[in-house]
Amino acid sequence: MFALPALVALPFLGGLAAWLVGIRGPSRMPWIASLATVVLQILLLLDLTLGTAGMPGWRAHFAAPWVPLLGIDFRLDMDGLSLVLLWLNVLISLPCVLLSSRNVRERAGLFHFLILATVAGINGVFVATDLFLFFFFWELMLLPMFGVILIWGHEGRARAALKFFLFTQGSGLLMLLAILALVIVHAQHTGVLTFNYFALAQTGAMSPLAPFIMAGFFIAFAVKLPMVPFHAWLPDTYAESPTAGSILLSGVLAKTGGYGMIRYVVMLFPGASAHLAPLAMSLGVVGILYCAWLAVSQDDIKRLIAYSSVSHLGYILLGVFSGTRIGMEGAVIQMVAHGLSTGALFVIAGFVEDRTGTRDMSRLGGLWPAMPQFSAMAMFFAAATLGLPGLGNFVGEFLVLMGTWQASHVMTYFAAAGAVLSSIYSLTMMMRVFYGPPKAPDARPLGLPSFSHLTVLGAAAVLLLALGVYPQPVLNLSTPASLHMVDLAEETAR
Amino acid sequence: MMSYSFLPNAVLILCLGSLVQMAAIAAKRHVGRDALIGFLVLVASLIGIFMPTVLIMTGAMPLFAPDPWASYNAALIVLSAMAIHIMSWRNPVVEDEAVGSEYYLLLTLTTLGSVIMTAAIHDITFFIGLETLSLSLLGLIAFRNRRIDAGEAAMKYIVLSGVSSATLVFGFALNYAETGSLRFLSPSIANAPEPILASMGVILVLTGMFFKLSAVPFHLWLADVLEGTSIPVAALVAVISKVALFSAMVRYFSSVNLYVPSAQVDEILVVAILSMIGGNLLALSQTNLKRLLAGSSIAHIGYLLVAFLSPGPFGLASAAFYLAAYSAATLGMFAIMAGVMPQGADIDDWYGLFRRKPAAALAMSVMLISLAGIPPAVGFFAKFYIAAAGISAHRILLLLVLVLSSTIGLYYYLRLIRIMMLPAPTEASLPEVEAPWGGNTALITVLAVATILFGIFPSGLVGVGRNLLAPPPPANAVADNTAGVGP
Repeated sequence: MFALPALVALPFLGGLAAWLVGIRGPSRMPWIASLATVVLQILLLLDLTLGTAGMPGWRAHFAAPWVPLLGIDFRLDMDGLSLVLLWLNVLISLPCVLLSSRNVRERAGLFHFLILATVAGINGVFVATDLFLFFFFWELMLLPMFGVILIWGHEGRARAALKFFLFTQGSGLLMLLAILALVIVHAQHTGVLTFNYFALAQTGAMSPLAPFIMAGFFIAFAVKLPMVPFHAWLPDTYAESPTAGSILLSGVLAKTGGYGMIRYVVMLFPGASAHLAPLAMSLGVVGILYCAWLAVSQDDIKRLIAYSSVSHLGYILLGVFSGTRIGMEGAVIQMVAHGLSTGALFVIAGFVEDRTGTRDMSRLGGLWPAMPQFSAMAMFFAAATLGLPGLGNFVGEFLVLMGTWQASHVMTYFAAAGAVLSSIYSLTMMMRVFYGPPKAPDARPLGLPSFSHLTVLGAAAVLLLALGVYPQPVLNLSTPASLHMVDLAEETAR
Repeated sequence: MMSYSFLPNAVLILCLGSLVQMAAIAAKRHVGRDALIGFLVLVASLIGIFMPTVLIMTGAMPLFAPDPWASYNAALIVLSAMAIHIMSWRNPVVEDEAVGSEYYLLLTLTTLGSVIMTAAIHDITFFIGLETLSLSLLGLIAFRNRRIDAGEAAMKYIVLSGVSSATLVFGFALNYAETGSLRFLSPSIANAPEPILASMGVILVLTGMFFKLSAVPFHLWLADVLEGTSIPVAALVAVISKVALFSAMVRYFSSVNLYVPSAQVDEILVVAILSMIGGNLLALSQTNLKRLLAGSSIAHIGYLLVAFLSPGPFGLASAAFYLAAYSAATLGMFAIMAGVMPQGADIDDWYGLFRRKPAAALAMSVMLISLAGIPPAVGFFAKFYIAAAGISAHRILLLLVLVLSSTIGLYYYLRLIRIMMLPAPTEASLPEVEAPWGGNTALITVLAVATILFGIFPSGLVGVGRNLLAPPPPANAVADNTAGVGP
């Protein structure tokens, strides 16, 4: 019963502990503390998964009053979709913490606190079922991320951090208005003031205001995802973040947008979102093609990955709004696979930058002899990104395209064309960075990758392969629970 | 019909206290003792607020309304005054032995004026309160009489304050001409014999109030005054006078149905929008921290007006909550300025504070995220509450402006956090960082902890803020009460 609040509290408290031990002690102490936190979190999640295995619908619940006068509860519920994304979150937070021992020497305690606080906020977003609480976590995860980018980022960090915050917070306030509108509409209908997701789901869809309320949610999630006209913050932010920040941003933070689209836009407003679907899908397709095109022409390796990331997120949008079960499942698979593969690519980009001192691909080249293990890994993840069959991304994109086919043939053609572009930029990146003659005159081995790097990348590779070969378990798990399981949830909560 | 006149305990205690302070100064000057007396008076008045009313006279016209709204705001004001009192200590401006004692007397008088305003239901009491506040504030602003900018600030304040008082009084006069009553309540324009005159009167009163509240477009004096005065007095202008005026304004309009469009509602609407945008834009381009806070305070008045214009179950409750959140964060900002860097008014002086004084920088960040409305600070819940009020009253336009302008606001609040996190870009000689004295450290800690705790557990404060102000009794009951002052 207390597993869900623990999932939020544990990273936060662990981060606090890491900060405290880091104030006086050596810079290794916070690293150990936060690693222990992540391991504990994995164990907790494992326990939660095994303990609820085979349960349909909503698997775990927690509820406590928070601001009773306004109908706000501290209410957490977990279904399969939440569980999949929670796993993604802890799996991504592991490399963020593990690999930072080398890069972050100064004020390591604060760094680990901020990373873990972000993780706590993201966990909260994935399980909150009180709309106020959801918004609370939604905003809460931004502030530590802002700090991470601002303190440990690259040259243009100040601008990038502000841009990130203004875009996401500004759109978040629109969502706040939408939440409030939904609550007030509900209160006018029933006379009950509540922020409960399940209660609001009953009336929200019926209101004539539904399209407007949905638009507020949609814009906030579209900015976070990001969807194309709202993506301006992303390349700068990804490129200027420290490696751990880029991994966390692309790996999970963007997925909160996708999660919100499923949980709050499609499931709360099925009718209105069906009307919106053609627009959302077109924007998804435009995003796939446009950002892939931009990715082809980048020189900065991190910006290339950033644009490719936006491009692939278009598939999520496409899948969610395809209106088919298969498309939705594909979107979830794509979220997981994209999180793993993009996260791994950022690890590699961070490593290359660390060792060669540049992210500019025109100054890199021929790194394969200098770092063979790493280059092979890079090849693997580049292949995953371009959608090689047998890897998770392929399954995700394939299912999404199948779902889209039922909605619109034309969009499927264009979306599939994105796969061609993605092979162009993935392979261009490989060629410019790892193949060809070395650019530097004195090409020497750049040192072996550390054991932890290889472990992390190896684990990501194994997971992607598993997802590609046998995605059925995730597919079974990831279907969002229907809203009508509420009774069970209410009972267990009492 | 028998009517009662109440004298709120706080007013009584503050009156007596200021007399004691005067007597003490007249007998023998001793800054430390006079400051202590001033503080004790504030403590006593805080206790007095929660005691049952002592002085009830019968058969007179009502001057004060001893309702929860008055008590809530009076408590807020006295608490703020105590905070300002604490941060004034060891302030290099106040440490001047020759003139120190009067400072605390003036502080008590400002508090007295403000407390009177929160409870006033008669034009005369309101005006006495307002003038007590304005005149003693003038003394405080001009206190650093050797500094040229203090003189300039005082000059600006007295002229504009005089103009706005005159406008206000003219408005009261028109109201009186229309209704024959000096009750501190907006006359119902529909029933007035000359609607235009009545509406004119209300708009003049409103304009006078907006001047004192420094809402856009009547805001031009605020930034200069804040810049010219010492830090504690700036805090006083930014917090106490705003709380007092806002609470009085709410009371004045408590009989008006703000849902129905009318000239005065339109004026408030326009002023709210202008204040939100104008205040934030003003703050955006500042290089001086006090001027930035002036802009921010104007913007927060705009947000409060959104709550004000959203009657219904949330309207007043959210305004009360917001006032508390705003006061705590703004006082915290000023307390940190006074404690850490009393001479460093430039924003650029704050570079690298996270390295030089991490605790102060952390506290400052807490205040800033509260003002910006980011969780988990209380400002987040306050803004949420106001948005809830606005949505329930269908003030969609106002809310869109609120979203837009608080996004602008984010930029400068976060820029300040950014500056504190980054090292100085040039090797400019940053001013020395001082260690705040114990009381100020305690004050900063209390404010920071309260800002976070009330953000995570807002339930208690939400409970306090509900049902503060009952609508006034119907007009025919009033006619009896005001018979004594008829022509």
